[in-house]
Amino acid sequence: MTPRPSDRPTTRNLRRRSLRAWVAALASLALLSAASAQTEITFWQAWGGSEGQALQALVDEFNASQAEVRVRSSFVPIGDGERILASLAGGAPADLVTVWDWMVVPLGYGGALADLTDDLSAAGVGPEDYLPGIWEYGAYQGAKYGVPTTINVYAFMWNKDVFAAAGLDPEAPPRTIAELDALTEQLTTVDARGNMRRLGFYPNVTAIYCYAFGGQLYDPETLEVTLDHPGNVAAFEWLTAFYKKYDIAKIRRFQAGWGDMASPFNPFYRGQIAMQEGGQWEVAFTREYAPDLNWGVTNFPAPEDGRADVTPVQSSFWVIPAQATHKAEATRFLLWLSAPEQSARFAAALANIPPRRDALAMPVFADTITPHMQTYIDMLLTGYVYTPPGLPVGLYLSDQLNQALAAVQDGTATAREALETAQRNVQRELEKYR
Amino acid sequence: MTRRQRRDLWLGLAFVSPWLIGFVVFTVYPVLASLYFSFTDYNVVSAPRWIGARNYTDLFADPLFGKTLYNTLYLAAIGIPFSLGLSLVIAMLLNNKVRLQGLFRTVYFLPSVVPAVAAALLWRWFLNPDYGPVNEFLWQLGINGPGWLADPTWSKPALILASLWGVGGSMVIYLAGLQNVPVALYEAADLDGASRWQRFRFVTLPMLSPVILFNLIMGIITSFQAFTNIYIMTGGGPSNSTLVYALYLYQNAFQFFRMGYASAMAWVLLAITAVALVGVFRTSGWVYYEARS
Repeated sequence: MTPRPSDRPTTRNLRRRSLRAWVAALASLALLSAASAQTEITFWQAWGGSEGQALQALVDEFNASQAEVRVRSSFVPIGDGERILASLAGGAPADLVTVWDWMVVPLGYGGALADLTDDLSAAGVGPEDYLPGIWEYGAYQGAKYGVPTTINVYAFMWNKDVFAAAGLDPEAPPRTIAELDALTEQLTTVDARGNMRRLGFYPNVTAIYCYAFGGQLYDPETLEVTLDHPGNVAAFEWLTAFYKKYDIAKIRRFQAGWGDMASPFNPFYRGQIAMQEGGQWEVAFTREYAPDLNWGVTNFPAPEDGRADVTPVQSSFWVIPAQATHKAEATRFLLWLSAPEQSARFAAALANIPPRRDALAMPVFADTITPHMQTYIDMLLTGYVYTPPGLPVGLYLSDQLNQALAAVQDGTATAREALETAQRNVQRELEKYR
Repeated sequence: MTRRQRRDLWLGLAFVSPWLIGFVVFTVYPVLASLYFSFTDYNVVSAPRWIGARNYTDLFADPLFGKTLYNTLYLAAIGIPFSLGLSLVIAMLLNNKVRLQGLFRTVYFLPSVVPAVAAALLWRWFLNPDYGPVNEFLWQLGINGPGWLADPTWSKPALILASLWGVGGSMVIYLAGLQNVPVALYEAADLDGASRWQRFRFVTLPMLSPVILFNLIMGIITSFQAFTNIYIMTGGGPSNSTLVYALYLYQNAFQFFRMGYASAMAWVLLAITAVALVGVFRTSGWVYYEARS
């Protein structure tokens, strides 16, 4: 077949074609160089479901807002400590990683995390930008190893309907430990088989009572472990009496029948526990699983001479590994992600509290505040905030506290003996880091 | 070695090299590294620091070391005989030529293919003191059942009870062993007027003894490494009553950042397992090997 005249390669056509080819080549080169100027960073985030989607929306927004850094996020459950540890030990970590609070100082002090102090101060971020007690959280000996994602805060909850049914004033939660003891006795019931039907009060987080009785787990100033503090011993003596009175065997048996916390079978929602500790997530949980629950939230009761405004705080952290390939870019993204606006949006999506002070007033978060949530926020702003000890011994300290509790529950040691043993063990472990 | 043999050797090595390399990198090296770490203070992220035998001496002063070892040995000493006996009984029943034999075999083996996590969750519900079917059944008999997993006294028996559900694995091995017992031996026993019990005692049992030894050894090894079901069912509680060796080792390695200590624990476990197995072999005079006689 003869080619049509227009397809025939004439000199003019050839010239035009080569010009087009040159332009195309130049354009793709320009595109290529633009793409290579963009740095891709890896972000291990720890939220699935709608929470993960909310975080991804922030990541997408950051990616669209500028052309230099592209964040690629992947879901790595925060409980997958082995994976995170292996990536750090192997020297091939992601650029930004989400970890539990107890991992921050051990990893940071061990040299696996970047110290963010200079970057934060260069960006003009300081203690005053955070809620009270939060800036020091995740810091050790002057180095700041991470930024809290969102804040969980615990308070004292009571079931008003259970109070009313028992003939008690539903608007009068206990203010003191003596009142708590009296109410616990009135609200605890046992069935015909001798099994517990309702436990008036269930102390779950031991440390809260150590602080309420005036004790402390460690001294934030000297960074010494203080498990055998007289306040802790007093708290343990009170707990020992509690477990003796209500029989630890019966409580454990009853406890085995409790449903999942994030379900309608939560023992507090079902009235199996009348009073308990609970975090601000209960605002979202009750809305979903127990919309008709009539509950109140207030400060923890304390002994007359104890601490009346104990505010336990917990959080996960965003950290930048010391061996991350793109530390500067990861820092840039972290500063953006933890800025008040983003902090408020993420906390609102999680029904948590943003760690940034300015974020509290941002409409995206402020509009979600319910009266219950306001109590939690007020406690954070005015209470005695304590965080899990930021020491290189990490979880070992909490485990030793649990071991001490198990010893007094089983009657194998007195409160003092159990705490002294725990103190010795943790102190010996801590010496290894000195 | 001729040229051809040498060539064959190199070719053979080349063909198995993927496994050899994998074995050296992922097994030999970590095992040797853990031996070195066991003599160091090592928190995974900082460089290990040589401390001699201190991890080992600390181990013997640690009350939880003794406790976890006791829990592990308890589960092995009580659990293995039960599991060996039960799987043998089931295998013998399933070896009978009855209708729907295949179906019965499948049904009894089925629990062994249920993922460990799912089985653990199921048993947690099954043994629930308040609304679990086990205690409900006991209540019908007029017994207020124990707290099972929630009671330090009953938690270990409860774990053994739950583990018996998974005897399908050793049952299948017994079943294969039973089918290898020559029919001629049973016929000879019949001619001699042997009773059912005598047939079992003097034919089945000796012929099965190598299989029993195998199941015993596998039982010891898996008992000493017990982890998943306990991690899910009790997390080691209540009151450390189900804190087994492997679980405590895991806590030390990945939660307390005491990898050196955990490495020492692993080597002590290896030594204990080795001693137990040597003991079993030394006392295995009861095993009858047909080929040798």
